[in-house]
Amino acid sequence: MTIKIAIIGAGPSGCFVAQSLGKIHPEAEITIVDRLPVPYGLVRYGVAPDHQGTKAVIRQFARLFEKQGVTFTGNLCVGDDDSADLSFAELRGMFDAVVLATGLSEDRRLGLVGEEARGVYGSGAVTRFWNDHPSDQALAPEFGNRVVVVGNGNVALDVVRLLAKGTDDFNGSDFDPARVITSVTDIHIVGRSPAHMAKFDAVMVKELVKIDGLDVRLDGPLGQLQDDKRLLALQETAAAASPDITQTVLTFHFGWAPEAFDIVDNCVCSITFRSQDGAMKTLPCDSVVTAIGFDDTRREFVGDGDGVIETGLYCAGWFKRGPRGTIPENRQDSQKVAQRIATDIAGIAVGNAKPGIAALQDRFGEQIVTYDDWLAIDSAEINAAAQGRCRGKLKSIDDMLKVVQKRRNAE
Amino acid sequence: MKINLLYGTETGNAEMLCEDIQASLADEHEVTLTNLEDAALANLTAEGAYIFVCSTYGDGDLPASAIDFGAMIEAEKPDLSAMTFSIFGLGDMDYEETYNNGSQRLLDLLIGCGGTQHGPRGLHDASSGKPPEDSALPWVKACLATLPA
Repeated sequence: MTIKIAIIGAGPSGCFVAQSLGKIHPEAEITIVDRLPVPYGLVRYGVAPDHQGTKAVIRQFARLFEKQGVTFTGNLCVGDDDSADLSFAELRGMFDAVVLATGLSEDRRLGLVGEEARGVYGSGAVTRFWNDHPSDQALAPEFGNRVVVVGNGNVALDVVRLLAKGTDDFNGSDFDPARVITSVTDIHIVGRSPAHMAKFDAVMVKELVKIDGLDVRLDGPLGQLQDDKRLLALQETAAAASPDITQTVLTFHFGWAPEAFDIVDNCVCSITFRSQDGAMKTLPCDSVVTAIGFDDTRREFVGDGDGVIETGLYCAGWFKRGPRGTIPENRQDSQKVAQRIATDIAGIAVGNAKPGIAALQDRFGEQIVTYDDWLAIDSAEINAAAQGRCRGKLKSIDDMLKVVQKRRNAE
Repeated sequence: MKINLLYGTETGNAEMLCEDIQASLADEHEVTLTNLEDAALANLTAEGAYIFVCSTYGDGDLPASAIDFGAMIEAEKPDLSAMTFSIFGLGDMDYEETYNNGSQRLLDLLIGCGGTQHGPRGLHDASSGKPPEDSALPWVKACLATLPA
């Protein structure tokens, strides 16, 4: 009897579960379901558009669908709300095991009055907008001249870098040329912790040196350098990034907690921070991007265990562990989940045959976007690349489905 | 010929490349594939040619699956004077300053213990958008073709 497994969410964690399971049980029938017509989740919509090297991990996932017999079931929403195509219970009735790998997408809020005002944006929404995610195209953020980025992780640095870069700096990326931000002249990045406790990686700071016309400054001393790679990177970058002709000034501030927005006519005009010893700092600005992570308060996470919710139901990735950790960290975790599923599978009684993917195909037919359909979208996007870009992403589900329809009509 | 193929990986890209290399050589050679995470010193004194594939992670560091191996080589300084090896690195020019430092570190460690490098270090840039196997497979063939008998 073939064991049938559905993974919900075609992002990196879901794909790594499929990869690992496929290695242990090559005969298992594995399908990855996604509500979007396109696979790869955060690799496509979260990894910055100018980090194509990081996105190259997609080659591993493509191989799942091309050579390892995993199927892609796109454009199908599983859930318990009204907009869903089918419920979790229905899906579980069709498969021996279901893995939830849907990630987390809500930005964590600062919780300050004025956060809803114009000009205040969450980094997740901004990043998805920049990455052409169909759900966030109405955002159209306006940054003005002066931007304050709140947060000290790698996402905050992604935001800073994309704000600071000019058109030529995006060569080889898939960043829409029409979206290059040219208005910004001053960027402040403000972290709550002292510099040595900031969460970003040294390489992310060093990368800023390459941006033409960017002057990097430090507001105040960094404290004891010792051999902290990040502090050294900050100091070296500030020294090296001092261009002859400055287009944008980036200033790092450490040890300042956000205290209050100043809102006039429903627009942000400054943000005030407080230091641990009670000093206050007000930065006038046209916009604020909060990059303090994703909302992890809505439910409890399973943590670093093997991801069992109950027999036959598992979870992986950020949905399981909370919104933390890089691609490789989640890969290791996904391997652990796959190992557990593989062990449990051995105990599934013979004769209890589930219909698997065939049931989804019977019920949803042409609505399902297959891997071959995705390849048509993929090649349409590559063909639509502007000069100096590797891809021009389709920004709406309608446009994606039109390409799918065109492919099917041609057959 | 016996070929020992060893890889250090963080995201799985180097592992997949090695599976491709193994598949491309399997008809003509006897290839063993080992993750450096599982490699013991005994794996470095086997008969045959050695090919290492290694990525770079963090601030120009060895990838996760090669870190303990690197530490072991450094601590135990095994005599690798009988070993002839070739090495291929996976890197990302978006991080120019530390580009392919992981494979260079592994190369330095092996040479430091008396290993002899054969052929140039192969390099792949992930930000190029080109598949690593396109450059790695010809590189492997060229290395093997010029190996002294």
